[in-house]
Amino acid sequence: MKGLLKGLAVTLRTMTRRSVTRQYPEVQPDLPPRSRGVIGLLAENCTSCMLCARECPDWCIYIESHKETLPAAVEGGRERSRNVLDRFAIDFSLCMYCGICIEACPFDALFWSPEFEYAEHRIGSLTHEMDLLGEWMKTVPPPPEIDPGKPG
Amino acid sequence: MTQDVAPGEWIAALIAARDTQQCDFFDFLTAVDELDEGIRVVAHVYSTKTRQHALIRTLLPPGALTLPTATTVYRGANWHERETHEMFGVHFEGHPNLVPLLLPDGFEGNPLRKDFVLASRVAKQWPGEVDPGQSMTDLKKPKRRRNLPPGVPENWAQP
Repeated sequence: MKGLLKGLAVTLRTMTRRSVTRQYPEVQPDLPPRSRGVIGLLAENCTSCMLCARECPDWCIYIESHKETLPAAVEGGRERSRNVLDRFAIDFSLCMYCGICIEACPFDALFWSPEFEYAEHRIGSLTHEMDLLGEWMKTVPPPPEIDPGKPG
Repeated sequence: MTQDVAPGEWIAALIAARDTQQCDFFDFLTAVDELDEGIRVVAHVYSTKTRQHALIRTLLPPGALTLPTATTVYRGANWHERETHEMFGVHFEGHPNLVPLLLPDGFEGNPLRKDFVLASRVAKQWPGEVDPGQSMTDLKKPKRRRNLPPGVPENWAQP
């Protein structure tokens, strides 16, 4: 009898509270802007320096590039050589979402995106190549406002 | 509180923790590979009454990786000892069912020993070995210096 009343009291108390159920997938979740969903690549900024691939603890970043020689910009100047990115791929079946690659990148070529709906039927499809990683850039939220800090 | 005991005092220390320090909650039992010194077995227990933690450790020398089972003191140690047995190769004397817990049938070796070679770090080509301006196919060409992956011991066979 006592237990029954206690149970009813719990039911009544819960009834007055608002539901916390999220209606995903009918309603998209409101994720915090810094959510770690997927990694986007801004290929224009990448110099194929290999820092991210070497820092990656899971060995899941593959970069291939070739050298290209640019003719001298001015008469009698030196020829410049630069790296051209051929392949940039992240294997999300190995990635542990640590974000070390994003922190290691000195050229701001990698970004977190909150996008998370990229499940696949085949594990090989989780290796996202350059074009797909570039697509993710569209889902990267704008950087937060600069904190003005304490005035004075 | 951390307490280091000799292997012979292992069970006595656990009984003391359970009875005199009222550590009624057995949290975990595991081990640490201390290389040349041997294997250190660690047990963590907790008192729900006094809210005191106790960490009891014992160092087993490399030649004698045997310890009496703690299941006589804490029955919950059963699976923890099975796991420590398969992962570190420590034998627990008197354990009721010392068979592998997590590893598949026929698995050889003790994966959490520091001398255990990780197959995935040997079979796979390190993606960071490629230099800027190179592709994977360039790695097959002979060169003066190889970039070696950090953290992988050099004596592990490289492809």
